[in-house]
Formats: sequence, C-alpha cells, structure tokens
Amino acid sequence: MAEAHAEEHHGHHVTSNRVLNTTFLQLFAAMVITILAARAPIDGPALFPGFKDFFLKWEYAWGATNAIALGIAAFKAVQVIRFFMGVQYASGLIKLYAVMGFVGFTWLYILFWDYVGRPWEPVRGWETVPGTALPRDPDSDAGVPYKLYPGKEEGASAEMSHE
Amino acid sequence: MSQAVIGQRHEIPDLHYLNNGHTIASWLLTKDHKRIAVLYLISVSFMFFVGGLAAALVRLELTSPHGQLFTSEQYNKLFSAHGIVMVFFFIIPAVPAVLGNFALPIMIGAKDLAFPRLNLLSWYLYVVGALIVLTSFILGGVDAGWTFYTPLSSIYSNTQISLCLVGLFLAGFSSIFTGVNFIATVHKMRAPGMTWFKLPHFVWANYATSLIIVLGTPVVAITLVLVILERTLKFGIFSPELGGDPVLFQHMFWFYSHPAVYIMILPAMGVISELVSCFSRRRLFGYEMVAFSTVAIAAIGFLVWGHHMFFSSQSVLQGIIFSLLTLIVAVPSAIKTFNWVLTMYKGSVVFTTPMIYVLGFIGLFLVGGLTGPYLGAVACDVHLTGTYFVVAHFHFIMVGGAIMGFLGGLHFWWPKMFGRMYSEFWGRLSALVVFIGFNFTFFPQFILGYLGMPRRYHYYYFAPEWQIYNILSSAGASVLAIGYLMPVFYLTASLIKGKPAGPNPWGATGLEWNKTSSPPDTHNFHEKIVVTEPPYNYDAISDNRDYRKMWGGEPLEWEKETV
Amino acid sequence: MAAHGAAIDPNEPVVYEQYETIEQQQETYLVGMWSFLVTEVMMFGALFLVYSLYRWKFRGEFFMFHEELSWQWGGLNTMNLLFSSFLMAKAVQATQLKRAKAQMWYLAGTIVCAFIFLIIKAIEWIPKFEHHLVPTASFHWPPHEPHGSGGGSPEHAKIFYSLYFTMTGLHGLHVVIGIIAITILMVMTKLKAKAITDYIPTEMVGLYWHFVDLVWIFLYPLFYLIPR
Ligand code: HEM
Ligand SMILES: [Cu+2]
Repeated sequence: MAEAHAEEHHGHHVTSNRVLNTTFLQLFAAMVITILAARAPIDGPALFPGFKDFFLKWEYAWGATNAIALGIAAFKAVQVIRFFMGVQYASGLIKLYAVMGFVGFTWLYILFWDYVGRPWEPVRGWETVPGTALPRDPDSDAGVPYKLYPGKEEGASAEMSHE
Repeated sequence: MSQAVIGQRHEIPDLHYLNNGHTIASWLLTKDHKRIAVLYLISVSFMFFVGGLAAALVRLELTSPHGQLFTSEQYNKLFSAHGIVMVFFFIIPAVPAVLGNFALPIMIGAKDLAFPRLNLLSWYLYVVGALIVLTSFILGGVDAGWTFYTPLSSIYSNTQISLCLVGLFLAGFSSIFTGVNFIATVHKMRAPGMTWFKLPHFVWANYATSLIIVLGTPVVAITLVLVILERTLKFGIFSPELGGDPVLFQHMFWFYSHPAVYIMILPAMGVISELVSCFSRRRLFGYEMVAFSTVAIAAIGFLVWGHHMFFSSQSVLQGIIFSLLTLIVAVPSAIKTFNWVLTMYKGSVVFTTPMIYVLGFIGLFLVGGLTGPYLGAVACDVHLTGTYFVVAHFHFIMVGGAIMGFLGGLHFWWPKMFGRMYSEFWGRLSALVVFIGFNFTFFPQFILGYLGMPRRYHYYYFAPEWQIYNILSSAGASVLAIGYLMPVFYLTASLIKGKPAGPNPWGATGLEWNKTSSPPDTHNFHEKIVVTEPPYNYDAISDNRDYRKMWGGEPLEWEKETV
Repeated sequence: MAAHGAAIDPNEPVVYEQYETIEQQQETYLVGMWSFLVTEVMMFGALFLVYSLYRWKFRGEFFMFHEELSWQWGGLNTMNLLFSSFLMAKAVQATQLKRAKAQMWYLAGTIVCAFIFLIIKAIEWIPKFEHHLVPTASFHWPPHEPHGSGGGSPEHAKIFYSLYFTMTGLHGLHVVIGIIAITILMVMTKLKAKAITDYIPTEMVGLYWHFVDLVWIFLYPLFYLIPR
C-alpha cells in the first residue's frame, strides 16, 4: 500500500502502487506471449526439426492460436477492467454495468445461427465464389437508376416499382 | 397522504419553473428537466406534423389505383420521409423525452435528472439531427424507406441518404444520452424510502427503455456509419459484389430496431399503468407482475429481431428459432393487458380525457399485439409479409398504442406542466375523434393486406377492387388529422384561459401530484421527500366517489346498493 | 456532506444542487459513465461481430491480407497504449491522494503516449494510401510490392481493409477524443482549483481512456496477428 493514511477517502478505494505495477507487468507479459504464440510458427526459429510443421498441424486441428490470442486478450481486458478501471473495488451496481456491455455483445452472436444454417439450404448471393453478385457501378451516386441482379429478375423486379 | 380538497378554487403559485426567467437564453440554456421537456414537446410536435404532412400525401396518392399524383420516385421519397420522421424523431423521443423528462425525476423524488447539462445536450443533438434530416429531404429526399436496406441504400440509390444518416446518427446519440441520464437517475437519485418496488410503473418503463436504448442504439448507429462509408468512400462491408452479405445489414438494423419498437411502446405502457390505476380509483392489479413484464419485454425484445427477415434469405434454422422466440414475447405484453383490464374490473372508472385515451390504447394495442403472432408464425408470414397487413399491424401498435399513450399522458400531466386545465369537453371529443379516425384509417389496411396489396406501392391498377378500402383509409386519415389538430388548439387555449388546476386535479397518488405545486417549482419540492406509502395507494383515498362525480361519472349499480 | 448555502470549502468537492451527498454524486457519475461505456462496448461490439463473421467466412484468406500490416508497429503501439493506460491509472491514483503535481505529470504523460500512438498510426496508414490499400474506389489487390504472398481474392481483400480502416479509424477517433478530453481536464483542473477537490472528473476521463486501451487489446491480435 502506497500511503496508509489515504487508503480510504470519501468511501472510495485508492488502488495501491503494487497492484497497478503488477497489473501493468502482467499486461506486458501477456502481450509478449501473444506475439510469440502468433509469430513463432510463421517466422520464429525452428526450435527442433519439424517444429513449424507440428505447430501448424496443432493449430489447424483446434484453431489453437486463435484461442490463445483471444484468451490472452480476454485476460488482459479483465485485468484492465478490474484494476485499472477499479471495478474490483467498486460497488455491485458498477460491476453490473461493467458486465452488461459484454453480455449484450455476446447476445449479438445469436445471428451466427443464420450463417451456420445457410449452407444447409444454399441461398444465392452468399457464395464465396467471386463474381456471383453483380458488379458495382462506380457512378451509382451520379444518377444511374436501379439495376437488378443479373439472373435474379424474378425475385427482385417484383419489389421494384417502375412504370 | 395530503389530499386535495375537491371543488376548491386554486391559484397558480407565484414562482414556478415556467416564470423563473423569461429570456430566450433562460430557455435555450436551461438545465431544468421540466423546461427541457417543454422544449422537447415543441420540437417533437413540430416533427409530428412534418411526418403527418408526408403521410397525408401518401394517403392522397393511394386514393387512385393509377398513381396519378406522384411519380414512383417521389412516392418513395414521401413514404421514406414519413417513416424516418415519425419513427426517429417522433415516437422514439415522444414519451421518454417529453413526459419522462418532465415527470420521472419528480416521481422518484429527485430535484433534477442526474446530469442536467447532458440532458440539454440531448435536446441539441436531437434538434441538429432533425435539421440535418430535413435538409436532406429538401436537397432531394431519401428513397430507401426508414429501414435503409442495403444494397439499395449503399449502392443503388442516388438520393441524399448519406446526409440523412448523419442526422439519424446524431439523433441516436441524443437518445443514448437520455438513456444514460435516466439510468443513473433511477439508480441513484431516488428519495429515501423510494424502493424499487415502490417505483411508479412509468419509471420502471423508462428505466427498461433506457437499457434498451443504451444496448441497442449504438449498434444501429455504427451500422448506419458503415452504410455512409460504403456510399461516400466506396468501402465494402455489405456489398454483395465483394462477397459481403447485404442481409447482415438487416440483422444489425433489426437487432436495434425490433427492440426499438419496444422503446416506442414501453414508455407508453408505463403511462397507461399510471392512468388506468388513477382513473379506476384502484390500486394497479399485480404491481410486481407488471414490473416484471416490463423488464421481460426489454430482455426478450432483443431475441426476436429475425422475424423481420423471414424472407430475406435468412436461413430456415434461424427463421424457426426466431419464430418461436417471437411468440414468447407476446406473453409479457399480454400480462400487462390483463393487469390493466383487471384493474378496471370493479374499479370505479372515470371517463376523463386521459382515460378515454387509455381505453383506446388498450383496445387498439390488443388488435395490434394479437396480429403480431400471426406475423411471427413463419407459415402465416409467407403470405402477409410485405403487405398492408404489416403496415396495419405496426400502425395499430405505434399509432393506436404509442401515440394514444403519449396523448393520454400529455393530457394527464398537462395540468401539472402548465398549471391550468384544458377544456374537458374538447378533450373528450378529440380522444373520440382520434379513436374513430384511427379505426377508419387502419382497419381497412388489414383487409387490404389480407387481399394481398403490397406495401410501398403507389398504384394498384391491376386490382382496382382495392380502391374502396384505400379511399376508406384516406378518408379516415383526414378524420384522424382533425383529431390530432384539435389538441393543438384547445391545449394552447388552456394556457391562457384554463382555470388553475391546483396541485392535484385528478386526486392521483404519486409524488408529482402530492408534493409539488402546479406548475412545480424549479427545484420541484419545497420539502424533503421521504416515501412511506406503497404505490398507487388509491384504496386509501376516501373521497374517490367525489372525484368520479366531479369528472362526470355516475355511481355504479353495486355502489348504489351499498349507499 | 457539504451543506448548501454554507461557505464553500476550497478543499471539499462541490455538491451539485440535484444531489444530497458527495458520495451519491460520485457514484452517480460513475454509473453514468459505465452505462455510457456499455454503449461504447456495443458500438465496437457490432464491428467485432462483422469482423468475426467475415473472418470465419474467409478464414483461409485473411492471413494473406493481414501480411501487409506490420505486427512490429502494431506491437509497439500496443505497448505504448498499455503504458498510457498505466499512466492514466497512476493519474487517477494521484488525484485521489490529492497530489496535484503528480496528477498533471501523469496526465501529460498519457497525452504524449496518445500522440505517439497517432504518429505510429500515421506511419502505418500513409503508405497504405500510396499502395492503394485504402478500400476506396482506387483499391488495388494484390499490392505492387507485397510483403507477404499477396494472394487471396481482391474482393475479399477489400472487405478486410474496409474492416481494418473502419475499426482502427473509429478507434483512432476515440484516441483523438481522449486527447481532447484529457487536455480539457488538465486545463480545467489548473483553472478551477488550487487544490484538488474531486477525483471524479479524472476518474471518468480515465475510464474512457482505459476503454480505448481495451479496444486496442482486441484489435491488435485480430488484425495484426492472424494465424495461418
Ligand atoms: C406483441 C408482440 C409483437 C409481435 C409478436 C410482433 C411481430 C411482428 C412481426 C413478425 C413483424 C414482421 C412482419 C413482416 O415484416 O413480415 C412485425 C413487424 C413490425 N412490428 Fe411487430 N410485433 C409485436 C409487437 C410490436 C410492437 C409493440 C411494435 C411497435 C411499437 C411493433 C412494430 C412493428 C413494426 C414497426 C413492424 C414493421 C417494420 C417494417 O418492416 O417496416 N410490433 N411485428
Ligand atoms: Cu419486430
């Protein structure tokens, strides 16, 4: 604790130097680990024969580096929120609102059910093959009226009203 | 509870928030939540009549099957202008920003909102946003509808969409700041003794609404920014030519905009809970359940957005999930309706102007709400989507529900806001005209939709038999317009000629009626507030019957017997 | 509790008229700030959602697109922002302990870090304009002198760069707003009071600044460290 006398002031908590320093070092270390984990299989040294191949297989199997990178990022975020932003010592109400945004954000991911389900009944327009959708008209802001999807007139033209 | 003496003559207090400063600056730089509410009232009413003008032109065009008055482009711009103005600049701010701003702090016993300057900023953002949007209409209009679906809005349309979206972005932040303000206020500014389960339902409703605003609005705000970037800089996010997904826009748009329909209706429901209890002279039936259903609506409202996208290439899997969830969201709305009806049951209902609006609300919301599950069931929606059935559905809720709630609340709190009574005769008449005009306008649209008339078309020469319904609807719209114009006159007249209302003309419970003068003091209260009574404590009022007599209600049969 | 109307003690925080006690006022400001941050989370959250959708959709290709971004510069900037966040936390602590000088120095340090962040961003962005990697009408993929393989479909590359510029751009905008906020805070603190009375303004700016850091913590691995 930095200054014992000033620890509690107007009922709010003063985060000590030790906590701040530790958090900063943790964040720093976490960042270094993320970079190493991501770059090692690409341009890191070959620690042992077949190292990169092993790493790549491992990664392809479980998307491991993705998980590592995001896991570490989440850890960093939690540390920042807890200690730098002081939520650790804050009231329950503040904790509630600190969590709420992230809950809402996760909520958005419901819409992945749509994209997971689409391949089960393919819908035109969502193929990854380039060139399936229409070419963009570079001058569309300068007076060119609607153009329909080539080959999709049945669906599209019914929506458009023209005389 | 201090009870007003019935029939007494009242005086307007010498000093109140309205005459505390007369300069223009004292209004435009005010930090008083009540004055900001008045500013909002003026600006919101102005936008309402702008949107109404567009609606009138739309209805005029539809009287003929051949679309003779406007070209297709002009018609597109008209209905877009109508939708944008009404949704973003009228219904969303109307109840929270006018009535909420005025009443919410008083109802919880606070001297003001938590952040008065932020409140003023909200109003300025609203005004600037509105001006920008109106400018975009003048400079050429917007033709993508209020929903701005991509790729029409991002690639094809060559109208003033970018400018309009900037205005909407600002308006979005206006409501976000209001939401932040309400949240902080409800959490931290309640008077001692005002526990969560003593809060009036209007406060609950605004609190839940604020949560929706804070969680949902930023999503649509950033989505609109993406559209602006696609239009102006030719970025590609939703662009199908790049392999992007235009339907993703709809997901993100409706993630906000379905909850947004609850932003529109929840505060109005809060108003109804206040009014129904006051004018039935009876405690609100099932206080806890109504509070619970408010929060449930706010939460489940975020789970159903896909019902707007059943037929825009959303996967069938998602369609089914959303269909089920949509049917669930009707439950809490029904809970509320049952509670209102049960409050009236065996209450002594007083047919004042606000109460007539309430009765209109309940009936129309019932029809609007019950058609929701029709649209929410995928199999049924195949036939109904994109037709006038949908138009009728949401107008029953937004016009028949939200606007009726707004008008009811306005008539209820008007004596408190300005200290004078309006003409009860004209008030009741206007409520009736609105109700009748409304039904003539929108009921035929259910039939039209059932017969297959598509929305957003401006001609129907291929089905001239629809003309009769369209003419009915347009005729009803003119009645409705008269109904909406009447309050402008008699409410304005009441400011000058109305007889002083006294602190509590309705004999209502609640801090705003019992602890403040009409109009209230700038600091709201003259005493320190400590809340001890339960909410809606009408059963403890002894002279309920006198209030009913005063407002022209006859004693009920069972009452006569007991007398 | 500071009584209304009583002579204002220059060492005690001012209680605005709508509040009863200083504790209530401070907590209210914090609740307000946090609910605003909920909004901010959702705003960036929507962009992260779009990002994850396209990353998942074009998972093979995003690696090739990201090779044009420099993980070294990005890493440097991450370090820089983490450090600025640390300084900001120290500034808040100094304010709470009423050490006015230290507060000013820490805030100034935070601003310096913020400017360094913007300079590094400029170093990254400006060549992208020359190499036609900005996803406007003149976007071109593959780049003329690619750092990596330059493979992948040009259309999807444009989506990637649209996301990159939107997300880092919005984040950069927040950094700029943060600089403005900190500057205003410093000026107001200097002008208004000889001694520090209330730590809440610093705390609120601090929360905002930590949020900016928080976003970057996710942006960095998602854009600069994409695995193959
Ligand atoms: C009670 C439960 C409700 C259910 C189950 C429900 C269901 C639906 C469904 C399924 C649609 C889509 C129809 C289609 O496009 O094919 C729809 C449209 C709509 N609903 Fe509701 N709804 C409900 C309540 C509300 C409320 C309370 C409001 C507004 C205050 C509202 C406003 C709207 C609007 C504005 C649209 C049309 C949006 C557009 O396409 O422009 N609904 N509703
Ligand atoms: Cu909906």
